[in-house]
Amino acid sequence: MTAQLLDIITTAAILFAVSAGLLIIFGVMKIINFAHGGFLTVGGYSALLVTRLGLDPWWSIAFSFVIGFIFGMIIERLVMRPLYSRPLDAILATWGLGIIIGQLITLVFGREVQFVKSPVEGAMNFLDASYSQYRLILVVVSILLALALAAVLNGTRLGLQTRAVIMNENLARGLGINSGLVRFITFSLGAGLASVAGALITPLSSVDPNLGVSWLLSAFMLVMVSGMSLVSLAIACLVLGGAQVLVSTYGNPVLGGLTIVVLAALILRLRPKGFARG
Amino acid sequence: MGSAPPLGHAESAKQITPRSRSDVRWVLACAAAALVLVAIGPYLLSDFLVNNLIRGFLYAAVALTVDILWGYTGILTFGQSAFFGIGAYAAGLIFTHAGFTPANAALALGAGIVVAALVAILVGWLSFYPGSSPLYASVVSLVLPIIVSQILYSGGNYTGSSSGLSGFESFDISLQGWFWIAGIFLVIVTSGAWMFVRSDAGRVLIAIRENEARCEYLGINVSRVKILLLLACAVIASIAGYAFACVQMVVAPEYTGFVFGTELVIWVALGGRGTLIGPIIGTLLIDTSTAYLSGNLPYIWKLFIGLAFVIVIVALPRGVGPLIARLFRRRPSSTRSSEIPTLEPATAEPLAGLASAGANAIEVQHVQKSFGSLQVLQGIDFKARHGELLSLVGPNGAGKTTLMRCIGDGGERSGGKILVNDHDIARLPPYACVAFGVGRKFQNANTFDALTVAESLRIARTRLQKPSLVARATSLQMPEGALQVMRATGLDQKLGIEVRHLSHGEKQALELAMVLALEPSVVLLDEPTAGLTKQDRTLIGTILVSLASKNRLCIVLVEHDLDFVREISSRVIVLHQGKIVLDGSVAEVVGSDLVRSIYSGGGTMDGAHA
Repeated sequence: MTAQLLDIITTAAILFAVSAGLLIIFGVMKIINFAHGGFLTVGGYSALLVTRLGLDPWWSIAFSFVIGFIFGMIIERLVMRPLYSRPLDAILATWGLGIIIGQLITLVFGREVQFVKSPVEGAMNFLDASYSQYRLILVVVSILLALALAAVLNGTRLGLQTRAVIMNENLARGLGINSGLVRFITFSLGAGLASVAGALITPLSSVDPNLGVSWLLSAFMLVMVSGMSLVSLAIACLVLGGAQVLVSTYGNPVLGGLTIVVLAALILRLRPKGFARG
Repeated sequence: MGSAPPLGHAESAKQITPRSRSDVRWVLACAAAALVLVAIGPYLLSDFLVNNLIRGFLYAAVALTVDILWGYTGILTFGQSAFFGIGAYAAGLIFTHAGFTPANAALALGAGIVVAALVAILVGWLSFYPGSSPLYASVVSLVLPIIVSQILYSGGNYTGSSSGLSGFESFDISLQGWFWIAGIFLVIVTSGAWMFVRSDAGRVLIAIRENEARCEYLGINVSRVKILLLLACAVIASIAGYAFACVQMVVAPEYTGFVFGTELVIWVALGGRGTLIGPIIGTLLIDTSTAYLSGNLPYIWKLFIGLAFVIVIVALPRGVGPLIARLFRRRPSSTRSSEIPTLEPATAEPLAGLASAGANAIEVQHVQKSFGSLQVLQGIDFKARHGELLSLVGPNGAGKTTLMRCIGDGGERSGGKILVNDHDIARLPPYACVAFGVGRKFQNANTFDALTVAESLRIARTRLQKPSLVARATSLQMPEGALQVMRATGLDQKLGIEVRHLSHGEKQALELAMVLALEPSVVLLDEPTAGLTKQDRTLIGTILVSLASKNRLCIVLVEHDLDFVREISSRVIVLHQGKIVLDGSVAEVVGSDLVRSIYSGGGTMDGAHA
């Protein structure tokens, strides 16, 4: 029972980390970034590089963030800027970017499955159950991530400008906010966050060039039902991630894999706002 | 006014008597040429290429359905692979488990079509409903292939799981024979699609892509059109998948998955969306090149496709095909002279489909509208009769446009009841309100930029005159009021011009003509004359007065120009802060101190408003 509860909480935490970058970009730009899967993969391979260099695995968080952020900056300048007024085309272009990133990684690292070193190994006793230490740490990391994001959005000038752009971009521009800069930073930040998430999840399994694709759809659906807010994303991750764990345990794993996608599609049909308030 | 004077230069086209024009001859010629190519293909090409092209032809047929859904109608879909896979697995499963017999072959084809159709209806119901977003439809189209392939993965030995099914028996037909079958199938599908997209019904698809809300308010049930379209496209994809399984004698989950679904979109985008031919050529070229190159340069080739795709989406959103076509074509002109239909007066059928006009044209009872805690309308009560020209006036933010919206769309108001021609509009969407006799003109000119004037007007007639699925009518029947507006503003001379080239005032007039083409009995006009010259305003004013008095229309007008209101109205309602403060004749309202103080910003109501 405890193990299951922990499964639900850790799954939700992982989903939150994986979706946060996508949410930030969707919130500000109203654009679905299908290169998100590619950024997750980039993060996974950043962690692999850290392992190969023999550095402490904790370095992979900072390293993957920097790499992802740089990727984001380049892509925003070259590809995203002309597509702001064409949201459906942006889906396609970012999907193409995902293909490019995947192929580049395959060319450099090969297509085989590889393993990275986990920062912490083994299980620890939590309440009455013995549970993977790393998964529990991920919960802490996700919470820190959420707090940091909330602090940036609510406590800084950039955060204030970002919230203004989210609410009403035209008005924000009229008030002298450089919405182009806000978009640039947001996209890069979203890419950096995705990359960190990729680095965080790789110790749980392995890396391969398609690492990101399997997570992309869950992240995408979670963002669709969450609207623009971190709080509703957290709720969506708990509810849908919890449903996924329950279905996988009591039903079968294949159905479990579909739970998030199907439930989210139905929720959106019945309540287009999803978990967002109002 | 029964007989209209001859209109425009299009009159000369009238002696070509057929009532409708289609591309049959042209399409037949192209199809015949394509069939010749298909017939000689196997003799000229290597077996390897023949084999690849069979697959390419079937993929191209599916890509064509993506083009119709996305390129023409604006529904970005990643899900056509699922329908292809359903057709393929219908063959694979039945031939593997029940054996191959002619009866089973027919059964499998039928099963594939039926399942695909049912799934399409389900997906359509999920994706398309009044107010649904295009993004949501894309999301659902993405979810569909994932579900289908996951079901196949979990099917164990029955579906062959990840390795799929192979080694089943199939038709005993040579490679050459399959080349012909697949080729003929593609030619038939393409010809049919060509006739359809160039027909009057095909214009409706473009109208939906351009401006879905306007279509709804022209009485077109957009959701239903989209669901039917998806259904037809699903059936075509399913047949292609069935043929694929029969030729290759192998089916695998990849053919149903969303990666294949996105590949289809890539082929269509590269070839040129909305061109039919572009996606076919794109599919054939890319699929064949992939077969040759992916062996030698596996990752580089896919990288190259990815790069090309991104570049095309960013820099050439219309694809490569149209770019090449432009090299061979003269400068495109803004008019399509060969397509100008003749204008004819329509036999009036106002209230088509309604039992009677009812006692009141509009009856508004206790209507409320709030956004969160903000009350925009409160306790609105009034009745309007046929033949009245009722003006709604009031300062900005008084709720005039909101009230119009509530009458035109049952889903808008927060409380209260509205009857149109004595029919309760309940929570019905705009197209259903049109059926009760409502015609609404929006505040800003709201038209179809990519269509010509004549095409736009024909879209407005869709509800009353079912458009042909294969041909274009050579005449355009318009009711008297619409004809008057067009003549007064000179639009009758511009039938072949694309709407994007019209001036703002002409667009306003066109939208008014489109609304009147619906033959409504209740007309909601939101600032119909904004942007028109003084002269045109007077003309439109006269036409509105005559529509109200002679044709017994109930016209509700929102106007800021009080002189205009005074000239034409038979009654005025003054709204202020979401309430009716005055309801009376022009004289009563004009003489009212209350109205003067509201407009001058004085505070006789409840607090000052500067």
